[in-house]
Amino acid sequence: MKYEVVIGLEVHVELSTKSKIFCSCSAEFGAGPNEHVCPACCGMPGMLPVVNKRVVDLGMTAGMMLNCHINRTTTFDKKSYYYPDLPCAYQTTQWFAPVAVNGYVEIDTPSGKKKVRIKQIHMEEDAGKLVHDIAPDTTHVDFNRTSVPLIEIVSQPDLSSADEVIAYLERLHSLLRFARVSDCRWEQGSMRCDVNLSVRPEGSTKLGVRTEIKNMNSLTAIARAIEYETARHIDAIENGTEVLVQETRRWDDAKGKSFSMRTKETAGDYRYFPDPNIMPIVIDDAWFDEINASLPEFPEVKRERYITELGLSEYDADQITSSRALCDCFEDAYSVCGKAKDCANWIISEVMSILNSKKMTFDMLTLDGKALGALINLVCDGTVGRANGKKVLLAMFDDASIDPKKYAEENGFIVSNDTSLVESVVKKVCDSDPQTVADIRGGRDKAIMALFGRCMKELRGNCDPQVLRKALMDYING
Amino acid sequence: MDYKELRLLEMLNQLSLSDAQKSEMLEFFEKRESDLAILNELDTESVERMVHVMPISTVVREDIASQPFDRDELQRGAPNAELGYWCVPRVVD
Repeated sequence: MKYEVVIGLEVHVELSTKSKIFCSCSAEFGAGPNEHVCPACCGMPGMLPVVNKRVVDLGMTAGMMLNCHINRTTTFDKKSYYYPDLPCAYQTTQWFAPVAVNGYVEIDTPSGKKKVRIKQIHMEEDAGKLVHDIAPDTTHVDFNRTSVPLIEIVSQPDLSSADEVIAYLERLHSLLRFARVSDCRWEQGSMRCDVNLSVRPEGSTKLGVRTEIKNMNSLTAIARAIEYETARHIDAIENGTEVLVQETRRWDDAKGKSFSMRTKETAGDYRYFPDPNIMPIVIDDAWFDEINASLPEFPEVKRERYITELGLSEYDADQITSSRALCDCFEDAYSVCGKAKDCANWIISEVMSILNSKKMTFDMLTLDGKALGALINLVCDGTVGRANGKKVLLAMFDDASIDPKKYAEENGFIVSNDTSLVESVVKKVCDSDPQTVADIRGGRDKAIMALFGRCMKELRGNCDPQVLRKALMDYING
Repeated sequence: MDYKELRLLEMLNQLSLSDAQKSEMLEFFEKRESDLAILNELDTESVERMVHVMPISTVVREDIASQPFDRDELQRGAPNAELGYWCVPRVVD
């Protein structure tokens, strides 16, 4: 018998805010234990939550990017469960009126485009972190992550393979980073997902027993877990190796297996009820329009525009649209110099190379694109040599206020138009190496590059290559 | 509402009901369910959902992180804290 797998995802995304969702503690990752905590996020009695507006902005932005309907009145609810990482013994989340509902994203599959429906996006607070390995009988609790804002994106069970899941997650990753909703760093846990999976005979409309694999934070592990879990379900159905039950499971990537954690809770177990401490959030037209107007152009629309309107190759367009920061830099540079191909070349070769050497992600780019455009103009019109242009660019990374032309002038990077200086350097270099000059005269044309390099070095790169080449040829042939 | 569902509610709310109380509760819920069935006959398609009894909305704050709270002060009343952590009996999920 043939089987089909039915998968729905719950994706948690940490929002790019400076402060937590209900208090003004820092939401920054990486502080020492309990350095970002206060009586409110520690659940001390009498503390009241105050909603961070930016969280609602980003929740709406995510909803709009994923084609959702935005609930103009949205509310918070309490989800009860007792665990030491949750100091209030309830999580403040959205159950009855989430910020966004009924959206979709399109993914590419071998059989064409596929629409994956989004059931809802809700805003909520993260839980704290438990450390089990400091002492044998004690769990140490760090509340830094408590109340860090999240959105949870709940898909309908529209996915039917590991490849589709990866395509869906990559699409979410791209859209949310483009809209600056989140940095979506899997390795830091700012994007993680729960996989709900069941298996049924192909063509059947009845869903099989569903299991949920919690807290997955790597695409490779997600793909492996889906393959494993699918095989486990089919084996249980066909051979009766075990009785499938609705449960929550944990994936152990080292062992390549999933393990039962607990039987799956249902909504009733959580006793959701409206949070009486947070009044409804009413999104008026002005607020809605402000967020709507701030949405970025979708990456694939930019890509198409770069190819058709600006004449970039598909490769260049793919590289640049891989990050919103690169796109912004490219567009600012292009607005100044009007040379799309040169801007793309500088960003793909020089800017990316510097970012890599500084171990920075593309999204961390803060280079002033307009200044880059001015630098490209200086190099293209021969005012600054390419090698010295790279030095100016490196300085611009360290100091965003640098004016490229002024910096080039101050550091002696302006190409000299003094032909007598060029000719004197050519004479000096050629006279010091008569053998190479003789070789060139004897037909070894390529040997001229050695003399060219030495002359350029003498001139500190400040010479138009065409002028230098002509001066060399004139001297050798003359 | 059947006996099994009532047992679940009892457990979630940490109650211990006698058999007589259980019967009484089942009767109570049965009555409420029939009341709800009557209410469900109403066409509420065009009625906007009421999220609060008063026409009010929450205040929001700007996304500005404040100075950190004094951790030691916060942990002063904790029964057990060390190395900057609160300590609880070992739990492993």
